[in-house]
Amino acid sequence: MRRRREVSLPALHPRRILAAGSVLVLAVGPVAFAPAPGPATPTPATTTPATDLGTQLYLEQCASCHGPKGQGSQRGPSLIGVGPASVDFQLSTGRMPLSQEVPQAERRPPVFSAEEISALVGHVGSFGGGGPQIPRVAPGDIVSGRELFAANCAPCHGATGSGAVLTNGWIAPPLYDASAVQVAEALRVGPGLMPAFPSQVLTDRQVDDLTGYVRRLRSERLDQGGEPLGRLGPLAEGLLAWVVVLALLVGAVRWLGRRAGQ
Amino acid sequence: MRGRTPSRAERAASRRIVGAFLVSAAGAVGFAVTYGLGGDTQWEGVCLAVAFAGLAVGLAVWSRRLIPTGGYVEEHEGFTPTPAEQAMTAAVFHEPDSPSRRWGLLAALGFALTALGAAALFPLRSLLPWDRQRPARALKDTPWGPGVRLVDGEGRPLRPADVPADTLVGVFPEGNLDIGDAPAFAVRLDPERFIRQPAGGHLGGLVVWSVLCTHAGCPVRIYLKGTGRVLCPCHQSSFDLLAGARPVAGPAARPLPGLPIEVGPDGFLRATDDFTSPPGAGFWSRP
Amino acid sequence: MIIDSLARALDDRLRLSPITRRALAKVFPDHWSFMLGELALYSFVALILTGVYLTFFFDASSADRVYQGSYAPLDGATTSAAYASTVRLSWDVRAGLLIRQTHHWAALVFVAAIVMHLARIFFTGAFRKPRELNWLIGVTMLTLALANGFTGYSLPDDLVSGLGLRILTSVVESIPLVGTWLAALALGGEFPSDVMIPRLFVAHVLLVPAVLVALISLHLGILVRQKHSQFPGPGRTEHNVVGSRLWPGYALRSLALFLWLLAVLFALGGLVQINPVWLYGPFELAQSTSPAQPDWYIAWGDGALRLFPSWEFRIGGYLVPQPFFPGVVLGGVTFVALYLWPFAERLRTGDRRQHHLLDRPRDHPVRLGIGVGALTFFVVLVVAAGDDILARLLRVPVYDLLSLFRVLVLVLPLLTGALAFFIARALCRGEAASLGELTRADLRRAARPAPRRPSGEDEPEVPVLGRPGERIELWPVGEVWRWRYRDEAGLTLTANRAVRSEEEAVEAARLAYPGVDRVVVPGPPPPPVRAVRAALRRWGRAVAAGSLLIAALIERRRDRRRRDGDHKSPWAEKAEATSGGDDPA
Repeated sequence: MRRRREVSLPALHPRRILAAGSVLVLAVGPVAFAPAPGPATPTPATTTPATDLGTQLYLEQCASCHGPKGQGSQRGPSLIGVGPASVDFQLSTGRMPLSQEVPQAERRPPVFSAEEISALVGHVGSFGGGGPQIPRVAPGDIVSGRELFAANCAPCHGATGSGAVLTNGWIAPPLYDASAVQVAEALRVGPGLMPAFPSQVLTDRQVDDLTGYVRRLRSERLDQGGEPLGRLGPLAEGLLAWVVVLALLVGAVRWLGRRAGQ
Repeated sequence: MRGRTPSRAERAASRRIVGAFLVSAAGAVGFAVTYGLGGDTQWEGVCLAVAFAGLAVGLAVWSRRLIPTGGYVEEHEGFTPTPAEQAMTAAVFHEPDSPSRRWGLLAALGFALTALGAAALFPLRSLLPWDRQRPARALKDTPWGPGVRLVDGEGRPLRPADVPADTLVGVFPEGNLDIGDAPAFAVRLDPERFIRQPAGGHLGGLVVWSVLCTHAGCPVRIYLKGTGRVLCPCHQSSFDLLAGARPVAGPAARPLPGLPIEVGPDGFLRATDDFTSPPGAGFWSRP
Repeated sequence: MIIDSLARALDDRLRLSPITRRALAKVFPDHWSFMLGELALYSFVALILTGVYLTFFFDASSADRVYQGSYAPLDGATTSAAYASTVRLSWDVRAGLLIRQTHHWAALVFVAAIVMHLARIFFTGAFRKPRELNWLIGVTMLTLALANGFTGYSLPDDLVSGLGLRILTSVVESIPLVGTWLAALALGGEFPSDVMIPRLFVAHVLLVPAVLVALISLHLGILVRQKHSQFPGPGRTEHNVVGSRLWPGYALRSLALFLWLLAVLFALGGLVQINPVWLYGPFELAQSTSPAQPDWYIAWGDGALRLFPSWEFRIGGYLVPQPFFPGVVLGGVTFVALYLWPFAERLRTGDRRQHHLLDRPRDHPVRLGIGVGALTFFVVLVVAAGDDILARLLRVPVYDLLSLFRVLVLVLPLLTGALAFFIARALCRGEAASLGELTRADLRRAARPAPRRPSGEDEPEVPVLGRPGERIELWPVGEVWRWRYRDEAGLTLTANRAVRSEEEAVEAARLAYPGVDRVVVPGPPPPPVRAVRAALRRWGRAVAAGSLLIAALIERRRDRRRRDGDHKSPWAEKAEATSGGDDPA
């Protein structure tokens, strides 16, 4: 379900980095699948009207890239077997549907309502193939969550969850806006370039712990020290130090160092 | 200033100075109160800053408004002594019974001091305990070896099924989770996509490599699933796992060392040897 | 007057008054750039004050310790004692985080101030004889500041600093022959070792600060002994220092600067988060985080490690790894070049004279060009250390950025260096007083090869002797004598202190202004009435407050007048006025 895209037209987003908690996106990448509601058979979880809704939405919004039966096309990967978690993740984070091809879809407000999303999930499920279910998230232990985060997530998303760069213009997005379910879905699915963490690697319990900690990361209360500078680390601090030195200290020195009346 | 009626400007400056000092005192009180009320980093910082800024402004205005600046000159003796003066000093050193004339004794003294200085360096060797391995050997040896089982970060032994596709699992030698050069990672790749066979071999696509970047030793933990590449977060070296973990971009020059593995009779993964080459950054006597 | 009697009691025992009198009368030049070094000094004081507080709470040990405290994600977790105590210090010790952050900000400002001070010394040629010694001490202190910054940054044993330490270990190991031994001796074994944190701690709080304190004392001692250098100007010669006295004026000013620095540091420490180690987590062998950078003053090394190509080679079967060049060689060359610069420049120019009058940066285009080029080089390296952050913000592929920086780091220094060189030459040769007044003709002139001036590039001191109407006046005040320097243009420079006899006054004046006539006068004229100045100031304020239009008109008229008079600056104006009437007779 991942499609390799070597095309990178870097979308130039000189973007402001977040002040704690204002950024976007969760994870990942382009890819994955496209959402789609579909024509298909109702799954047990969805009612018939929902199925109709799913079919209709799928054909309108998704089929052009992923194919009417989810078989994929030049423009989009196959959706067969991606699983409800993947579909729900991509739709609820607004990464799908895409209006145009981009190297990496970014988090946006979702296009569909919750009801529409569940209809689409049902429709894509009808293509068959199984795949990870939408996880149910329970409150977890953040101490264990922190350790798991450091071991598994920090290399890409940064220990502070602020996101970081990968190669080819891809990024591991900041985690602050993701809901608990979305975090759990991303873990199980591994959208885009992100590795997947199936249950052999992380138990349900550990996923709960992890999502608990990720949710906690967005809290401004963790920025006990004041303005976090986007949690970007020492270079941002160094830049500020120079600005302050030049503006406030060298400025003061220039004023104090002159002869009065000069 | 005494005995002279202050000008209006001086009176104004004085008022500003007093005002600044009062603000400073208020800041100090604010700091104490904040601290007493339980402390809050932001308010404490602001209060202290106000306290010091008040003092600074007061003193600055004082020095600039009430005290004339400039207009003074100090003579400078220069640093070129007269030859006579230099000769006198030199003469002191060359008096007949001056130690500096006894060259033989001085040479012996110099020799003794040199020996002592050199001897004093020896205890520095104790900085590296004597019972430790010599450094280059220590860097080459790792706890891995035939029969050492692979465990995860919590010490649980791993079976092949614990390493699914599309993920990266950190592995350690059993019983040695704290040894600096031992950490490795396991991934499952599609053997058909291998451009070059992994140095340590693979078990149906399951491969283990040292996690330490061969550039500067950071853990190479960014796994770009599907591209088969790992990326080092420190200096952005990337390694192509499908091509024997060869460096493909960034400053690293050598491939990641592989770890040869097998499935033991108990069904757990174990190493059959040490890494294929010393892990981590390069050094002089690295083979 | 307790202080008075205490001072007398001390003086009765130590006879401090002559020294004190001289010290209090020390003259500091009135130019802002002379205060940059003070910024560094005061940052160091702030570092010591806050650092001592931190040592009360920091536990420099790698031993396991369970953190229990108000930072929930770590509550009950077992980490190293160093890390646990740092988190405790930040979250559970009142005012602890403020002091810790202030300490870290002070470290960043400390090195920045040192760099600015060094740049000032470099570009004005203040390192020339007889001040080479202080240059060497200063460069040594810069290296120590970097070392102490790095050790301090590594102490909390958090994930980011642990990566930094690991990289540094790799750089040391890359040194041929001795690298692995050096690293193993320093760490007491392989990275990470149990004695690592305690050793870093001893280096950070004892060894390096002690050496720094000693060197700072020496630096200042030599400064007092040699007295300040100064920019050229009327009444200023190679034999005197013109400016404000330490007491009362300069001491207050300097103290104000210290307090302002503290205010800024505490404001930063309270309002801007720095190095949130609780978010980074403790150092673990197999963990990493991204982005991973060192503090800015080490970042040039990190940038070089990123930019240097993946070249390694073997000598007789032995490996010379990549980090050796950007890490060891670049750092070594940088500091050796800094140490050797004064001597290299002397070798090149053959200038062995003593210099107490400074160059203006433009006076020495070669030096300016090299300095600007070198600074650009290091700035590019620091920015390159953030290439992953930039790549993310700009959404460009990080390897494209890497290639760009590889070009920039070589090309940009040449460009800026050449630009600085030509501008300096244009300013030097032309009439323009400032950048804005440079004309095309000036630049064209600068592009031509140097017309070999008989005196060479390095202009000797500006001869200020023989200013019209200059004379030394001496007069008794009760028991003591004073003197002053005056010239026709109205410049009056009073001797910084009274002396006990006419002979002493004559001697001092002769030293400061050799060859200037001396006369004994009954006493100084009454000082210009301050009320006049105050009134002028009030008038000025009224005008300023009056209306923007009038202010603009006045400004323009003043401009025009200035242009007509072709006056460049207050002192140049005076100089010109006097040189106009210069008559050898």
